[in-house]
Amino acid sequence: MLRKKLPFLHSLLSPVSRHVGHLTGHQYDVIVVGGGHAGTEAAAAAARVGAETLLITQKIHTIGALSCNPSLGGVGKGQLVKEVDALDGLCGRAGDWAGIHFSILNRRKGPAVWGPRAQLDRQRYRDFIQSELLSTPRLTMVEGSVEELLVTEPNPEEPGHHRVTGIRLANGSHAISARSVVLTTGTFLSGSLFVGQTTSPGGRIGDAPSSAGLSHTLRERLGLRTGRLRTGTPPRIVKDSVDLSLAKLHLPDSHPTPFSFLNTHTHCKPEEQLPCYLTFTTPGVERVVRESLQLNCHIQQDTKGPRYCPSIESRVLRFPGRSHQVWLEPEGVTSDLLYPQGLSMTMPPDIQLRLIREIPPMRRAEIHTPGYGVQYDFVCPTQLSPALQVKSTQGLFLAGQINGTTGYEEAAAQGLWAGANAARSALSMPTVTLSRTESYIGVLIDDLVSRGVTEPYRMFTSRAEFRTSLRPDNADLRLTPKGFEEVGCVSSVRYQESLRVRNSLQDALTALQALFLSTSSWKKKLPSVPISETKSTLLTGLDLLQYNDVTFEMLASAFPESLSSFMEFAQRLKIEAVYKPHCDLNKKEIERIQREENMSLPQDIDYFSLPVSLSDEVREILDRVRPSTLGAATRLEGITPAAVVNLLNYVRVTEKKKETHRNQRQQEAQRDEELCANSASLPQ
Amino acid sequence: MLPLRPVCGGIWRAAVHTVRMSRGAPPYRLFSSTCDGAPAALADADTIFALSSGHGRCGVAVVRVSGPASATALRCMAGFTQRLPPPRTALLRSITDPRSTEVLDRGLVLWFPGSVPGLRPAEAGEFTRRAFQAGKLGLTEVEGLGDLIHAETEAQRRQALRQMSGELGRLYQDWSDRLKRCLAHVEAFIDFSEDELIEDGVLNRVDVSVSDLQAEIERHLKDERRGERLRSGVQVVIAGATNAGKSSLLNKLCQRPAAIVSPIAGTTRDVVETALDLGGFPVLLSDTAGLRDSSDLVEREGVRRARERVEQADLTLVVVDSAHLPSEVDRAAAFLREHLRSVLPDTDRCLLVLNKADLLPEKQRQKLDTELRGVSGLPAVRLISCQTNEGLKAFLTVLHSSVKTLCGDPLFGAPTLTQARHRAHLQRCAAALAQYQRYRDTDLALAAEGVRLAVTSLGRITGRVGAEEILDIIFKDFCIGK
Repeated sequence: MLRKKLPFLHSLLSPVSRHVGHLTGHQYDVIVVGGGHAGTEAAAAAARVGAETLLITQKIHTIGALSCNPSLGGVGKGQLVKEVDALDGLCGRAGDWAGIHFSILNRRKGPAVWGPRAQLDRQRYRDFIQSELLSTPRLTMVEGSVEELLVTEPNPEEPGHHRVTGIRLANGSHAISARSVVLTTGTFLSGSLFVGQTTSPGGRIGDAPSSAGLSHTLRERLGLRTGRLRTGTPPRIVKDSVDLSLAKLHLPDSHPTPFSFLNTHTHCKPEEQLPCYLTFTTPGVERVVRESLQLNCHIQQDTKGPRYCPSIESRVLRFPGRSHQVWLEPEGVTSDLLYPQGLSMTMPPDIQLRLIREIPPMRRAEIHTPGYGVQYDFVCPTQLSPALQVKSTQGLFLAGQINGTTGYEEAAAQGLWAGANAARSALSMPTVTLSRTESYIGVLIDDLVSRGVTEPYRMFTSRAEFRTSLRPDNADLRLTPKGFEEVGCVSSVRYQESLRVRNSLQDALTALQALFLSTSSWKKKLPSVPISETKSTLLTGLDLLQYNDVTFEMLASAFPESLSSFMEFAQRLKIEAVYKPHCDLNKKEIERIQREENMSLPQDIDYFSLPVSLSDEVREILDRVRPSTLGAATRLEGITPAAVVNLLNYVRVTEKKKETHRNQRQQEAQRDEELCANSASLPQ
Repeated sequence: MLPLRPVCGGIWRAAVHTVRMSRGAPPYRLFSSTCDGAPAALADADTIFALSSGHGRCGVAVVRVSGPASATALRCMAGFTQRLPPPRTALLRSITDPRSTEVLDRGLVLWFPGSVPGLRPAEAGEFTRRAFQAGKLGLTEVEGLGDLIHAETEAQRRQALRQMSGELGRLYQDWSDRLKRCLAHVEAFIDFSEDELIEDGVLNRVDVSVSDLQAEIERHLKDERRGERLRSGVQVVIAGATNAGKSSLLNKLCQRPAAIVSPIAGTTRDVVETALDLGGFPVLLSDTAGLRDSSDLVEREGVRRARERVEQADLTLVVVDSAHLPSEVDRAAAFLREHLRSVLPDTDRCLLVLNKADLLPEKQRQKLDTELRGVSGLPAVRLISCQTNEGLKAFLTVLHSSVKTLCGDPLFGAPTLTQARHRAHLQRCAAALAQYQRYRDTDLALAAEGVRLAVTSLGRITGRVGAEEILDIIFKDFCIGK
């Protein structure tokens, strides 16, 4: 399924997208601002749902750029990539096209926590994304800087509530109207860059800062609460200047596993994959960090940085006297640079050079581009609905770092979901939500909108309560049918494929259960397997498959007539069999949570005057966070069980009232119709 | 088999009331997905039971069972082997232990029919919650319900506080801390060990901790079976200033010199506990150190413990030395109000005991006795003398009726049931730790699931543990650098 040839991009891009004049006055369904991981997924998803979509970015050729590390996936993040792919997103297929070093992390720790991961060729990744967007129907791309978000005056009946009407571009005051706008501005919202003691406005080195107008609209016009976060990136090292023989060689998997459910192989041939290298910091590194602290603005600021992707400065300061890992990763097949994962730093460039030269393989290394830090604004995500729409502004959707997350995969996941919902909203379809019981994307969004962030949010498998059910291997079963049937963001080709997989797996499980033999018969069939005869006398094939030493292949060769047709799914069936009892146990709890999530809490409740028994403290929390469902309310800190029961009751009573009201109105309408019909039939 | 037995052999005192809902709602509606178009309560397919009446020796007890296995419970425990009793008709039956077939008690059985099966003790507020979810409570009932649930959780909170503050609480808390650490380390190993420097030794230490914990919890469960002293009964605490005669009152009430009495202020320094049978009601009476600021470290600790006891008490007897009272009634009332405020956070559940009444002139005694009763803002007041026994009998009557009211309150928690719930959660916790060991070498995700279940089960006793708390431990213990 991999596309074999990519069109020659720049010749295609320039004529259609550099001039914005003709767009003025044009009405789009969805405008996406930003061309990073969130923006590209958002634009593609919106177009797939059926919306006329415009993607606006500062530079067309940086669409799909990997601003930081040249890799995709990992533990937790790999799950997100699989889910984005299951919803027909781009990043999984792009990873399969651009990957140059594939490995499944956690291979020995159980399939639920496998972390599919790949080192990427930056150029190939960008090419794939750009080509994919260019061939997406209903999607237009344009270069420009957004100066202002256009919104209606606040609704007098609902103070503080606006509706988005479009955007205005800088330099020439072009206004382009749209029913929905998705902002994916990454680190560009009031971004500033830090190197040593120098600070300059911007979101990424080499790119112009975004205009202050957008920030202003969000804060002043719409009254959104924002916070500030920081991140950083390491210097890029000239490959030839590094003595890789002093680092530990790290090889990829000999059989690369593609991310996408549609791909059976990766673009890169197994033997063409490139290795990574592992090395360690020395006491000299710590000395350089300590000596240069006063020259390091970024590190002295107390803006919240992530605890799990810290700069080398904070690593040695928090855990002194230790040797820290540094991965040297390839940047691409033809690139002559290395990316030193773990060495994000913000000291002056000459000191950066001193620091890296304290690490043995880099004794004589040269820096191509120094590392730097970025500080940027994010919008407190508790102001969003689970559709990633700003609660107070109809039609405004946010995705990616603007919501306080970090990482490509987190951005892509939100982008897809925000884009799909922006399209649905523009096309007058109800927005859709994903539950944390069915996907990591649901966990991500629920954590963001109901808990908020205090540091850049990254996905971990430990955040998912139902980790044994939300596995990378079954993301298609969990999401593809829903993506097609309820969201509309999945192509029918992928949908049909997912149905074929689902039915085949079901048939195979049925066939396994139909193999019902005594332990002695099983022993004869599979002599190498230690089957205890003291156990129950009859075992099914499914029971057998749960044994450590039993593979589906073994069963299929013992029972070729009933099982051999399912060989394609051997690994998935083994995983299904092992996890089935645990998933069955999860099911009841999942149903309970889903029931609570199905009870929505109206967004306009005045919690302070709600005529139910709630403490002032609880009212305040509810008023601040405004959880969209009862399920979200139960997960808030400080919400007591009693408060939940009271809210539950409130929801039920208001639902009943509404229903009665609806029925009454229907009856009235019917009566009116009858009256009209009667009067019409009266002789004049 | 039905895990009903361990609740406590004797509570099946008079009636087993097998009912799916209070207020006689047709139970099939509870579990029907078609009811009112309400989100079906289908997934609540567990069968739950709880003692719905007052606890202990309160005469009549009502046990409520709700859920699909209710019929099975009736068949196994009330001998309806052939068919179920006619619906909504009280029948006198022998209640038997389904495993040993030993007769536990005889009682009335009422059956509100429904359909089909495991039982577990109800969680706090669960009956109410089910009623809500089934849409069975009407608007008028709803008005009062907020308060009801509040009271219910409030009683449970007080009870939990009481149970949690002692040695048992410390034990559970220690287990919980160790378990959380185990989980954090397993989670760190899963989420970060591929890229970060997390030594392999981490898992080995978790192995040791998990098997230690499992052994400790199992030992604890066995000990409890043999009948560890249950801290049941109404908690009555005697509090007040030094030398007011608190210990004398305790000795009078238990009719033996349980506490040392002396004219020296600050004689009682620790909490002195004694169990009483007050007209059939179990009472745990505690004498506490006199409340005063002291520079003595030991006494200060005694005062801290005294205040803690008062905080957890169901009923406080505030003892005042009558000789310290102003002679005018108005000023005496103001003095008492002020004094109460210094002892108690709220005066809802307390009795005011004016001791050493024999030291007052007869005239003043009578005036106080009659006039203080009607004063607003004061609880029930009784003048007594532990020296001459004057007023003691009348005081006992008041105390008895207060205790009776407390026991008669259906919302007053039943400690034994709480204990049963604890036991169920601890059993589940130990079983979950076994899952860790089963999967440790083959599938760490499933092994971790075991530790997660263990944390959740114990969390039902010690408080919920969120993912953020585990992440905090991870980032404190490891340098996660990628």
